[in-house]
Amino acid sequence: MPEFRTGASAHAKSVARQPTTLALLAVLPPFVVAVYGAAMTAFPDTVFLRGSAATYGRVGGALFATAFLSGLVGLFGTVSAARADRYLSFSGFSSVVLFGTRVLVSVGVAGVAAAVSLLAVVAAGTEVASLPAAYAVLVLAGVLYGLLGVVVGALLPRELEGSLVLVFLADVDSFLSGDVIPVNTDLVELLPLHAPHALFAAAVRDGSLAGGPVGRALAYLAVLFVAAGVAYAAATGGWSA
Amino acid sequence: MPNVSKQRGNRDSDSDGDVVLRADGVEKTYSSPLPWEPDVEVLTGASLELRAGEVVGIVGENGSGKSTLMESLVGALDPDAGTVERPGDVGWCPQDDRLYDRLTVDETFRLFGQAHDMAPDEIEAAADRLTERLDFARFRDRRVDRLSGGNRRKLTLAVSLMHDPEVLLLDEPYTGFDWETYLAFWDLAADLAERGTAVAVISHLVSERDRFDRILELRDGRLEATDDA
Repeated sequence: MPEFRTGASAHAKSVARQPTTLALLAVLPPFVVAVYGAAMTAFPDTVFLRGSAATYGRVGGALFATAFLSGLVGLFGTVSAARADRYLSFSGFSSVVLFGTRVLVSVGVAGVAAAVSLLAVVAAGTEVASLPAAYAVLVLAGVLYGLLGVVVGALLPRELEGSLVLVFLADVDSFLSGDVIPVNTDLVELLPLHAPHALFAAAVRDGSLAGGPVGRALAYLAVLFVAAGVAYAAATGGWSA
Repeated sequence: MPNVSKQRGNRDSDSDGDVVLRADGVEKTYSSPLPWEPDVEVLTGASLELRAGEVVGIVGENGSGKSTLMESLVGALDPDAGTVERPGDVGWCPQDDRLYDRLTVDETFRLFGQAHDMAPDEIEAAADRLTERLDFARFRDRRVDRLSGGNRRKLTLAVSLMHDPEVLLLDEPYTGFDWETYLAFWDLAADLAERGTAVAVISHLVSERDRFDRILELRDGRLEATDDA
């Protein structure tokens, strides 16, 4: 347990001492939520039978901002610290614990990004039926992308290229995973935000979280957790207990 | 160097009991997943025995595989063939600094001390001792990314030996050191050897050959003794 505490504290400090990350966490969600909402007002509200066009845009913006920022921290953590993690593991630190601390920190980052994003949605004038449910779904979306960032960082260990992959994926994902534009392919259902988008929209609209998307989102989380574990082990030289 | 004559005397009475690291027939080839990239054969049967209390230099041309050899010796890299036996604790100072940029010097000591399973007071004592000895105590509150290259190197060296390992493998440890710290490093290496630590150092400098008990040259993937030390 002291090892876990020390590792989590070290990783959290590494994130908190990165001014760019803090600035993005403060600025990006309100900006994206406002811009997505404003952009969608170009469409008539009648298209969005279960809500306004602006709300639909803000929902997508909040999901994008939370997912992208969490993914970015997962990516940078893997790329910049893989060699240090490997050296620390060599020195005797359990790589299983090290991975656990990285997941814990990514949950924390997702929590902060989700809080700022949700605040931006509310501040923009959208009525949220259940704040706790909406927050929980945004955190889930952030954790999914945090783990995805670890996978991308292991497969493509360069910060610029990895960031481009994440921003493209999160943008397309947050847009296509909604149900306004009928996309004639099942591939859309494989996007990480497909289930969280449905859940977040429902939490904002009527405060409910029930239904198939919960199971699909949790299944996606389990798959990405395993994938991130495998990717992390590949990037840092394997597991040590 | 105070340890040279003593260690040369010890070497005459070497026995298996003194061996703290033994590598036999280590081979390593780097293969690319791309079929048009050629394989690079680096180690072709490198063998080595390190004994308690000796200071050994490992030399070789650029690209001869010294760092690959060291990573194989410490266990950071799996060789394709051959064996490496490490009966005791190993300390390793890699060629490049593998530290967390946004942690301070003291936080780095605490993290690596925890990895070495040291108690908090032992970590504090080791940090006090090594930062004084290597002359960077005044930077203990400074973040790693705000240290000079030489001080980062000192920190890497310090965390590699803070747990008093029986074998210390150092890959060009003094790159960026000023002259005083360079001398302090060799005094420290001598003290460690006197206490029984085996120290192997990858070196490029001809001028330091008299600091080693033995010098091994890595050539064509194998280690050969030289007559220089």
